[in-house]
Amino acid sequence: MARRTISLRLLTALVTTALLTFAAPPADAQKKGGVLRVGNLGEPPALDAHWTTASITETLTNHIYEGLYSLDRDKRPIPMLAESHTVSRDGLTYAFKLRSGVKFHNGKTMTSDDVVASLNRWGKQSIYGKALFAQVAELRAVDPLTVEMKLKEKSAIVLISLAVPNNFGAIYPKEIAEKFAPEVKVTEYVGTGPFKLAEWKPDQHIRMVRFDDYKARNEKPNGYGGGKTAWVDEIRWVPVPEVATRVAQVETGELDFADDLNLDAFDRLKGSAGARPIVSKPYYWLVAVLNKKEGLMTNQKLRQAWQAAIDIEPIMRNVAGGRKEFYRMDSSLAPMEITAWHTKIAGLPWNEHNRDKAKRLLQEAGYKKEPIRFMTTQEYKWMYDFALLSKQQLEDVGFNIDLQVVDWATLVKRRNNPKEYDVFTTGMGAFYDPSHHIYLTASWPGWTTDEGILKVQADLARETDPKKRRALWERQTRQFYEKVPVIRYGDLFGLRAARNTVKGFDESTERIRFYNVWLEK
Amino acid sequence: MAVVVTVVFLLIHLIPGDPVSVMLGPDATPAQIEATRRSLGLDRPVHEQLLGFYARVLRGDLGQSYFLDRPVVTAIVERAEPTLMLMACALLVAVVIGVPSGIVAAAHRGSIWDRALMLGSLLGVCVPGFWLSLNFIYFFAVRLGWLPAAGYASLFTEPVSALRYMVLPAVSLGFNQSALIARISRSCMLEALQQDYVRTARAKGLPDRAVTYVHAFRNALVPVVTVIGVTTAVLIGGAVVTEIVFNIPGLGRLVISAILRRDYPVVQGVVLVTAAAYVLINLAVDVLYAFIDPRIRYD
Repeated sequence: MARRTISLRLLTALVTTALLTFAAPPADAQKKGGVLRVGNLGEPPALDAHWTTASITETLTNHIYEGLYSLDRDKRPIPMLAESHTVSRDGLTYAFKLRSGVKFHNGKTMTSDDVVASLNRWGKQSIYGKALFAQVAELRAVDPLTVEMKLKEKSAIVLISLAVPNNFGAIYPKEIAEKFAPEVKVTEYVGTGPFKLAEWKPDQHIRMVRFDDYKARNEKPNGYGGGKTAWVDEIRWVPVPEVATRVAQVETGELDFADDLNLDAFDRLKGSAGARPIVSKPYYWLVAVLNKKEGLMTNQKLRQAWQAAIDIEPIMRNVAGGRKEFYRMDSSLAPMEITAWHTKIAGLPWNEHNRDKAKRLLQEAGYKKEPIRFMTTQEYKWMYDFALLSKQQLEDVGFNIDLQVVDWATLVKRRNNPKEYDVFTTGMGAFYDPSHHIYLTASWPGWTTDEGILKVQADLARETDPKKRRALWERQTRQFYEKVPVIRYGDLFGLRAARNTVKGFDESTERIRFYNVWLEK
Repeated sequence: MAVVVTVVFLLIHLIPGDPVSVMLGPDATPAQIEATRRSLGLDRPVHEQLLGFYARVLRGDLGQSYFLDRPVVTAIVERAEPTLMLMACALLVAVVIGVPSGIVAAAHRGSIWDRALMLGSLLGVCVPGFWLSLNFIYFFAVRLGWLPAAGYASLFTEPVSALRYMVLPAVSLGFNQSALIARISRSCMLEALQQDYVRTARAKGLPDRAVTYVHAFRNALVPVVTVIGVTTAVLIGGAVVTEIVFNIPGLGRLVISAILRRDYPVVQGVVLVTAAAYVLINLAVDVLYAFIDPRIRYD
């Protein structure tokens, strides 16, 4: 009996060891080689990271270029091309030490001259660069590996601005940064990233191949930053405008990865033998942007009535195709994934769906059923869906909504003219710092000119004490719900799909990245 | 053509929307947008831009694409091959299905063949092309795995892949058009079969097959060729949807993308080239009449 027990134990131990050996991927499971085919929505307007905020440009350029800083998995700045930095005692001078031996794709070694030329260009064109350079007095190369940034006043946004992945401070060779004026897009694509551009055939593919001289950081991969390895020989980005075709191609294996899918493909992908669905978080929080420069919505009471009237849960459920996995009810202005700025404040007038309050506010606003021009588009189904459902709910309490459905190009043009609309739909992606929330600025469509809000935004850009900044942000959130510059709905998530052979993909980043990804074929 | 050039220019410029807002992304500020509009010359009055466009077209220059960083002529030439290939294959499918179906239905008027073929052609007319395309992808690519779901390969570099990629789009585009050809072929054949010369041929003891396929068919061909000509022109429009669904990098996809992002020079260039193609197709059909029917002469 004892021998039998020992044998059983031995057998169990052997089986457990075997299971552990084969089930958990060993550390060296990564494989070099292969072509990773990625289906995306369409063509980028440019491969110049400084030039546009288009998300497709962000995704593509982050494989070719790098900035001084990047974001870790908690969306905090971490060094990328910078080795380290020091700040003077008065907080007005930042000295950035650069990593040595970093090569550009053209073989040139990166120096501080390249950094200065690139950041100067970025500071004139990018929305994040402009915000930072409004505080910069001087940027200069101290020696080949040191850059010094002198500020006009203390700033809280130096590192985060250098780290944001969208419209980011990519470092180009000096010759390229100086050749192309900030308002002219770069057409020579040379960076320091793990992949280099091999071919761009519009409407067919963009091929990026491994950069063999890439100098990776020694740390482990961490969010958008850390160590980066190009395991695949090539990433082939294939624009596939029809979403149903993207789903079919990832099912058949013609694509290894497909981005930006319709949520109704979730079940089909779940049942697929060769592919798997990936829920991407955060995606957008849905927002109705109110025109505060001209027209009806300049009336704060009317804006508050809208906020009080809407019942957000059924709207979100509907927009998400009835699936709980694809939406989240949250009043914080920063999504949960940006842990540093996510807030949990009780008692905010969010999702009240209080018809009496809404009717009372309408009365106080002196509203006489004038039509409110609410602009949306069917190009993004979720925008149209939430606008349509909002219209029904708002008209139930006495609003008169004139829903104007236009194409996206028309919407983005018209929203710059305060005479042409009262409200428009869009989505707010991830902002990594409170000072970057564009809908709280006077320059972005909707035009938030409220003095209280702008003052807190200015304080947030200056204040460097983390605790005080946190308190300011909470104050701003309360102010937001009182003054209602825009209407915050719920968080919507996105859908992607990957073949089961795609390994190492980091599902926690809001935009896709394929360094550190390998193919198991 | 001058009218086409003017109408297209005005239409694309008068619809709302702005290429710069699309290019610079959703978070661009109005100041940035204005600066880029100036650098592209979009801040100039529309009539000035129109005159500039006339001058360029007369020089054979269709301008520079805002998005593609290349001349419009180059963009069109790059995408002509996939569209021509798709149209040729779809036309082949339409003719191969449509003409024999019409002849057989007419030759066996009132039979089960006639009814089945006309029911098929009715379906062909009714079923939307994109629905058919998506179902073809689902069954033949996803479920059965016989053919690729989407994509394109050049006939000159990868002939086998090119044909495999082309089967589903050509059949889904051609099937719709075959229905029209079948119905026209049937009615023309019926008309021809009632003519005196057919009765004479039969009275002379010629076999039915020879009467139908040699005597009647030749005379029914003129309207059939006309409809094939019209079909070719229609296929240019139909190719737009097919190219989007099957991800074929042709002119249809180019023009749709250009419209959505307001790439004015590309839209103008593609419409101009398409209008010229329509004129040439109609000219070719007229020339063909003389070969088919010796009674038609262009003096």
